[in-house]
Amino acid sequence: MIKLQHVSKIYGKDIVALDDIDLSFNEGELVILKGVSGSGKSTILSLIAGLLKPTSGDVLVDNKHISKLPDHFCSQYRRDNIGFIFQKYNLIPTLSVKDNILLPLVPLNLDEDDLYAKLEAVTQMFSIEHKKEITVKNLSGGEQQRTAIARANVNNPKIILADEPTANLDEKLSKEFIQILKELKSLKKTIIVATHDPLFFDLDFVDRIVEIHNGKLDRKVACS
Amino acid sequence: MKKINFYLLEYAINYILRYKSKNIFIFTVLTLLIAVLASFFFVESSLKYEFESTLDTQPQIIVTNQKAGRETTVDENVIESLLNIKGVGDVISRVWGYYDFKHMDAKFILVGIDEFENQYNTTLANIVKNSELNASSMLIGEGVKKIMSQSYYREYFNFITPDLAVKKIYIAGTFKSATQLESNDMIVMSKDTLREIFGYKNTEATDLAVRVDNPAEVASVMLKIQNLFPTFKVVARKDLKTALESQFNYKSSIFLILFIITLFTFFIIIYDKSSGLSSEEKKEIGILKAIGWRIEDVLQARLYEGLIISFFSYIIGITLALFFVYILNAPIIKNIFIDYNDITNKFALPFVLDYEILLLLFLLSVPVYMFATIIPSWRVATLDADEVIR
Repeated sequence: MIKLQHVSKIYGKDIVALDDIDLSFNEGELVILKGVSGSGKSTILSLIAGLLKPTSGDVLVDNKHISKLPDHFCSQYRRDNIGFIFQKYNLIPTLSVKDNILLPLVPLNLDEDDLYAKLEAVTQMFSIEHKKEITVKNLSGGEQQRTAIARANVNNPKIILADEPTANLDEKLSKEFIQILKELKSLKKTIIVATHDPLFFDLDFVDRIVEIHNGKLDRKVACS
Repeated sequence: MKKINFYLLEYAINYILRYKSKNIFIFTVLTLLIAVLASFFFVESSLKYEFESTLDTQPQIIVTNQKAGRETTVDENVIESLLNIKGVGDVISRVWGYYDFKHMDAKFILVGIDEFENQYNTTLANIVKNSELNASSMLIGEGVKKIMSQSYYREYFNFITPDLAVKKIYIAGTFKSATQLESNDMIVMSKDTLREIFGYKNTEATDLAVRVDNPAEVASVMLKIQNLFPTFKVVARKDLKTALESQFNYKSSIFLILFIITLFTFFIIIYDKSSGLSSEEKKEIGILKAIGWRIEDVLQARLYEGLIISFFSYIIGITLALFFVYILNAPIIKNIFIDYNDITNKFALPFVLDYEILLLLFLLSVPVYMFATIIPSWRVATLDADEVIR
């Protein structure tokens, strides 16, 4: 269960990204955060991932105060619970697909068998196993995104956060991503997607669509 | 015990390879700096060892005569008077001096011995014990042999006396001594033959070597000699040592300048390294944080990176310095310290491995570089990951 309680986020002195937001997400739910660029969707994802601290208010995940966690525990929380799919993928372009996917597991110092079993599982699941040894900068946009999704899932997180996942994809690849989303939903993961892509607004497997406008929740929220 | 994370190590190696050209440049400069510094240190400690060993072969007290403020010969007849001084164990007259071999621009040290006298150092004692020298033969050091051979003097050498007569002396063989500095440019022959070459009279000697039974009495014996013969110059071995050391330290100051320049270059690299990261490097740290790496994971990886570069630079730098100093015999650097004469400079440096020097160089290079690698990463890693990757 994820809860945002009276959360505000102000960048610098006066750029208000979120203004007194109250929002919650249930376990296994797929929620779309809808809104134009700069509306505050990405900030919500960053707050849930513990990448940012709110200016005021509280973020709770499974009753843990994420916004109050020290950096050390925040990283550990992300590693154990969060799979983040960034808008620009945020892959390391000079590393191979395999190395990028395994990066979240590096600090865990797992046994080699365990490590490669996890790698095999995600590369097969997201159809990227034949590109494992290729350097990321040599991949197409769709392949880079599948690598990013595989990396976000390699530690088998409970929560998947996707920030504008189809912003750099054509329609065909966007539909492929939606298919992947459906598969992830079937694995009972909590998924929050921040997007303004209309492709996401008519999906039958989406539980809720939350609209954000100028850092505030739009009360005319569409629910499926 | 905590298991070593080889994946982090692998990531660090990968990181070095991904920024190959930058890291090769740093590695090369660091290796060369360490090699230059280590070479100077090695040459300095080898020469210091050689000088000290050479001085140890000198007598406790050396007495010379002076005329018009310049050193002149001593009459051997004063030996009796010196032996009467309480505390003096033995007095040996020494006949020795330099001979310019102008044709080869070289200078030899000529030392005279008398087989019936006590010798004041081990090298000469061994020569007396193992060889038979006659009035027309001599023993030569390896450096002398080489120089003479180059001028086709393989069996004998023609010395020119002050009255311009030619004195032919046959080479009876070569000798080795405890130190190369002592023996390399040395020629040993009988005292009488050497007197002829130098134009000395029969009882003239270059100086007198005085042995004192109780080393604590050296100063008082020196005073007694000085009172007895006010025109004599009385020098103790420790005074010679001080004089040589001050000359050596003067030469070391040239090294000090080079040392400062090298350190300065090193710290420029360190400053550049610690002053910041490229936007690409910063973003990578942000990504690592965003996918669950803790600050200490990031720093550990950078620590490995710094360790790999600096440790290998250190090892290769030291190896290069050892090769340069002890295999190539430190060309150029050695001449900064010794410019005595052409032959002396050709001796091989004795192998002296000073662990303090190795430790000093290690501490100056490895931890400092590692620290410089960590600082900028620590600065970025402590920021909000979101701020870094946006």
